[in-house]
Amino acid sequence: MDFFRISTAFMALISLVLIAGLFAFLVLQSAPVLAGQQWSFLLGQDWWAGEVYGALPMIYGSLMVTGVALVMVLPVAIGGAVFTSEFLSPNQRLWVKAMMELFAGIPGIIYGLLGVALLAGWVKDSFGLIDGNTILTAGLLLGIMILPTILTLSEDALHAVPGQYRDTSLSLGLTKLQMIKSAVIPVALPGIAGAIFLGLGRAMGETIAVMLVIGGLDKIAEPWYDLFAPAQSIASKLGREAAEAIGSGQQWSALMALGLILFLLVMILTFMGNLLLKRVR
Amino acid sequence: MKKSFFISLSATVLWLLTGIAYSPNGNAEEKASRITVVGSTTVLPIATRAAEKFVEKKNGGISITVNGGGSGVGIQSAGSGRADIGMASRNITPRERKRFQNPGLRVLPVGRDAVVCVISSEVYSAGVQALSKEQIGDIYLGKIKNWQELGGPDREIVVIDKERHRGTRHVFMKYVFGNENARTPGARLVTGSNNEEQTKIAQSDSAIGMLSLAWINDDVVGVGIREGDEIIEPTLENVRRNRFPIARDLNLIVAGEPLGRVKEFVEFMLGPEGQNIVAESGYIPVHPN
Repeated sequence: MDFFRISTAFMALISLVLIAGLFAFLVLQSAPVLAGQQWSFLLGQDWWAGEVYGALPMIYGSLMVTGVALVMVLPVAIGGAVFTSEFLSPNQRLWVKAMMELFAGIPGIIYGLLGVALLAGWVKDSFGLIDGNTILTAGLLLGIMILPTILTLSEDALHAVPGQYRDTSLSLGLTKLQMIKSAVIPVALPGIAGAIFLGLGRAMGETIAVMLVIGGLDKIAEPWYDLFAPAQSIASKLGREAAEAIGSGQQWSALMALGLILFLLVMILTFMGNLLLKRVR
Repeated sequence: MKKSFFISLSATVLWLLTGIAYSPNGNAEEKASRITVVGSTTVLPIATRAAEKFVEKKNGGISITVNGGGSGVGIQSAGSGRADIGMASRNITPRERKRFQNPGLRVLPVGRDAVVCVISSEVYSAGVQALSKEQIGDIYLGKIKNWQELGGPDREIVVIDKERHRGTRHVFMKYVFGNENARTPGARLVTGSNNEEQTKIAQSDSAIGMLSLAWINDDVVGVGIREGDEIIEPTLENVRRNRFPIARDLNLIVAGEPLGRVKEFVEFMLGPEGQNIVAESGYIPVHPN
C-alpha cells in the first residue's frame, strides 16, 4: 500500500505546484508595472495602453457584475435546491440533476451569443434605456450561467444531510419548513457555501459572455451603483487586450497584474466567505 | 485491483506531463506548408478568399489559417513570429516599430479602403445625412448628446468607440481629432471587430460609429462628410478618385523578407488574381490590372 500513498501524494503535489507556479508566474510578470506605478495601478481610473494603467474600473466592474449575479441567483438556486432535495421523488430528482449538470457544462460563448441576441435587447426595452449593454445585463447573464452549478451542488449538500435529522425534527412536531430551516440547511451550510464560492469563481472568471454584453467601457459609473451603465470586468479587459500585447512589454505586464488581482480577489472573497461561515455556525 | 488502477493512472499523468514538456514543433517541411495570417478584421475577407483560391490552386499540400483580432494583434503577431503574415488596416505606430525593430517589419499595401462614419438607419432617414468633422468630434467628446442638436430625432446618441489598437479607430481619430490616440469621453460602448460594431449599431436606433466601407448595409448607413459647403458621400468611386477624406491602405505585415510558401502567398495577393479578390471584397485594388 506504500505505492498507493506515494502516487497519491505525487498527484497532490502536482496540483499544488501548478497553482503555486501560476501564482509565481503572475507575480513575476506583473512586477514591472507594479514597480513602475505602485498604488496608482490599483487606484488609477485611467487605462491607456502605452501611457498609464489604472485597474480600478476593471476591479469595480468585476465586483459589480459578480455582485449582481449572486443577488439574482441565490434565492433561485437555494430555493430550487431545497425543492429538489426535499420535495421531489428520487426519480424526478435525478431528472433535475441531470438537466442542471448538462446546463452547467454549456460554454460561455453560447450564453454570450444568447445575451447579445436576446438579453441585451430585453434589458434595453424593458428599462427604457438607450442601450442594452450594461452591468445589469452582464450580471443577469452571469447569474443564469452559474445557476445550474450552484443549484446542483447545493442540492448535493442538502441531500447528503442524514435522514435521521429529518425524522427527529418531524417527530418533535416541527413543520416541514421549520425542519428545513433549523435542521437541514444548517447542517448543509458548508456545502452550500462551497457551491456558492465555486459559482462565484466561475462568474468572476467568465470572459467571453461578459465581454459581449458589458459594453467594454473602462469607466466607473456615476453614481457607482448605476446598474444601467456600461462597464468593463477584469476578465473582459483581458479578453479584449491580451492578444495585442502577448509576451512582453508594459501593457502585457499590466494585463498580468490584472490577472493577479483577479486571482487574489477570488481568494479573498472565498476566505472572507469561510470566515463568515465560521461565525454563523 | 486498486493498485493496478493507480499505477495506470500515474502512468497516464506522467505521460501527460512529458507531453507538455516535449511538444514537437513538426519538421521543417510540415511547418512550411502551414501559413498563419492574423489581424485586422477589415483585411480578413481578402485574406480568407485569397487563401481559399491559393490552396485550391496548389491542389492541397498547404493549409492557411486566417484569424481576426485587429490590426494591433496582426502587427504584434507578425513581429513576434506568432503568425507568418499580419494584417493591418493602419500604419505601424512608432511604439510598435520600436518594439519589433529586430527583425524589422515590412508593410505591403494590398488594397485601399475608407473609414466611414456610420449611424443607425433610423437616424439617417430622420434627416441626419451628413456630418462635419467638428460635429463628429463633439459627439465623441460628449458635447453633443442628442440627435436633435443635429437636426435628427429627439434621441440620446449611443456613441460607439473601438478598442484602441484597432486600425479603423486610428484612421478615424486621426481625421477627426488629428490624433490617432484621441480620448473619447462621450463614448458609451467599446467594440472590437467590424462585425461586432456593425451588430451593435444595427441593434440600436440612435447609434454612431466607425466602420470600413465594405461593412455598410441597409441597417448601418454611412453619412456624408461635410467639408465647407461640400458633402462628400462615402462611395467607392469617391475613394478611388481620392475625394473621400478618410482613406487608408490595407496592409500585409511581414517580419523581414518573406520566404518560400509565405512569399508565394503574398505575391498571389498582390498579383492579378489577388487584386481581383480585393475588388470583390469591396475594396480598391492597389495594382490595377
